[in-house]
Amino acid sequence: MLSRIGRWIDERAHLSELWQSQMVDYKVPKNLTFPYAFGVMAIVAFAIQIISGIFLTMYYQPNIHTAFDSANYTIMKEVPFMWLVRHVHAAGANFFLAIVYLHIFTGIYYNAYKKPRELTWIVGWVIYFVLLVTALTGYLLPWGQLSYWGMVVTAEIPTSIDSAPIIGSLKIGETISILMKGGYEIGQVTIGRFFGLHIWLLPLILLALVSFHLYLVRAAGISNPEGREIDKKKEGVPFHPYITLKEGAYLMGYLAVFFFFVFFYMHHFLPADNYDPADPFKTPAHIAPEWYLLAYYTIFRSIPDKFLGFVAFNLTLVFLLILPLLDFSPIKSARNRPLFFIMFIVLVISSMALTILGTMPPTPTNAMLGLIFTAGLFSFFIALPIISIIEWGWYKAKGGEKQ
Amino acid sequence: MIKSIFFTLITLVFFYIIWINNIFAPHERYEMPAQYAKIAEDVKSYAKEGKQLFEQNCQACHSVRYDGVYISSVQANPKLQTLQEKYGKVLPRDVYESVFYEDLMGLKESFGKVPPDLSTIYLVKGKEYLYAFTLEPQKVLPGTSMPPVMTGRPEETAKIVAYLKSVAEPSPEEKSKRVLMGVGTIAYLIVMGVLLWIYKGRLLKRMGLH
Ligand code: HEC
Ligand code: HEM
Repeated sequence: MLSRIGRWIDERAHLSELWQSQMVDYKVPKNLTFPYAFGVMAIVAFAIQIISGIFLTMYYQPNIHTAFDSANYTIMKEVPFMWLVRHVHAAGANFFLAIVYLHIFTGIYYNAYKKPRELTWIVGWVIYFVLLVTALTGYLLPWGQLSYWGMVVTAEIPTSIDSAPIIGSLKIGETISILMKGGYEIGQVTIGRFFGLHIWLLPLILLALVSFHLYLVRAAGISNPEGREIDKKKEGVPFHPYITLKEGAYLMGYLAVFFFFVFFYMHHFLPADNYDPADPFKTPAHIAPEWYLLAYYTIFRSIPDKFLGFVAFNLTLVFLLILPLLDFSPIKSARNRPLFFIMFIVLVISSMALTILGTMPPTPTNAMLGLIFTAGLFSFFIALPIISIIEWGWYKAKGGEKQ
Repeated sequence: MIKSIFFTLITLVFFYIIWINNIFAPHERYEMPAQYAKIAEDVKSYAKEGKQLFEQNCQACHSVRYDGVYISSVQANPKLQTLQEKYGKVLPRDVYESVFYEDLMGLKESFGKVPPDLSTIYLVKGKEYLYAFTLEPQKVLPGTSMPPVMTGRPEETAKIVAYLKSVAEPSPEEKSKRVLMGVGTIAYLIVMGVLLWIYKGRLLKRMGLH
């Protein structure tokens, strides 16, 4: 009976043809390494956020008087299993960002941003940026002390534009800051706007961007750890079942780690200070952004001049975006590029160090270290054109295209 | 190979520091003698007694709204019961704060601020801080307007902490249910992962793709 229904549908929708052409006849390189699975994990993480988020909206109340109680009483104590949904959503946001970071670093390592995949990279960057804003808006919703004061500090950051020499007098920064908060202070307007952005607008934008990103991955073919383009007809293995089973197994491992945190280790993802209701008259002792923003935050606060700090951390984002332009070498993948490999290590260590420094108190030594690692981070981007010129020389010497 | 090991290790160390145990960030520690720590942990035996002690010593100033416990003057007010019939045991915060505005402002006049609700304080501060602060407020938070009400009664203080824990955290039965659920979920995922991996190997061998 079931198979007859299935056949009836298939005769009309032709789903099995779609499956055959998109999943089985589609070929991918056989030598894809483990980090290639981060892309699939990111899709799953996104799905987890949407599903858990929809359930949270059933009980969460975007109102400054009741938001905290709706999250910490109704959701955590009153409605059965909603604690689990909140744990999944809060841990899920952190895992999502962690996976996206790992995915970005994988792309950098294998030079997956080079022709013909520049647009895939650019769309990926926009996803990352929108994701940061989504996480930032979501973090305000439980209306705890960290939610509130984290946003106070974040909304202050654009005002550093106003300390610039000439454009400062235009007060652009203050305008942006007021726009972010929806007024002079964070209150009902802010929480309402953030709620709308967080549950509707930004996830919809993300959905569209992620779909386009996936389409582009298909259109350009998947990159290769060896850095050469393969002949998809001859060399590849069928996507299904080769990749589906392999990455399916990785995915189970990922979910096992994820659920370990969900059930047994939430105190980083639902931090203690956020169980204190927001109080505009009581500044908590330690205010720092979430870990996924700390590298930018350290760059910002290590540089003594506020405006320069603002420029520097935005420059990091811009450099990431224009990576395909900075790195114009014809050679792909860190496996074939010793100079690039060294600079990649500099990049990894600098970004990790900057993140960890962001959790430490702002002593002069730490500010000094912050400057050093900021220089490390920038040296990666600045080295790329130089490495590219050197590599063009090697490439020509070896006979260029023929190789 | 050596590269994979290096990148795996550095990633694991990074997330260990950021998510699990940040050895670089400052931590505050408060002392609590082991015998009292044991009492504060043991919700099952002491939470009930702790609640009575709370009512006697703290309720004049503090509410525990998530347990339906309001400050004494509110508790004595017949309006409370009418409101609870309408809204449930835990009144919405805005309703509570506007109906009993005068009671709360009275406290504010005496102490400079409304003493905080203690429903989630256990999760924010932890047992050591709560014990140390309640026993000697001035020593832990110099200049605080909270009077020392528990001086020389460490055991009873620990019982109050056990009560606050019982309100903030899921009950012991609920906790063990969650542990069971967690272990089940994780075991299921691991078994599925291993099965998928084995199935993949077999299938690929049959297809000649290995
Ligand atoms: C006479 C009124 C009064 C009584 C009785 C009282 N408190 Fe307080 N309590 C206060 C006030 C006022 C504050 C706010 C102090 C401040 O923030 O400086 C406070 C704050 C607190 C805090 C928060 C400390 C912090 O670091 O923010 C805790 C915990 C606390 N009280 C626990 C208790 C416990 C437990 C009892 C019962 C043994 C109790 N209090 C009895 C008035 C009182
Ligand atoms: C797309 C990626 C998403 C990310 C990264 C994200 C992130 C977050 C974060 C960090 C929080 C704060 C969690 C806490 O401390 O409790 C949060 C809360 C919330 N999110 Fe999301 N979210 C996403 C998608 C969604 C979607 C699609 C919805 C709804 C359809 C949603 C609904 C909510 C609600 C209602 C809350 C408040 C409840 C609470 O604080 O637990 N989220 N989100």
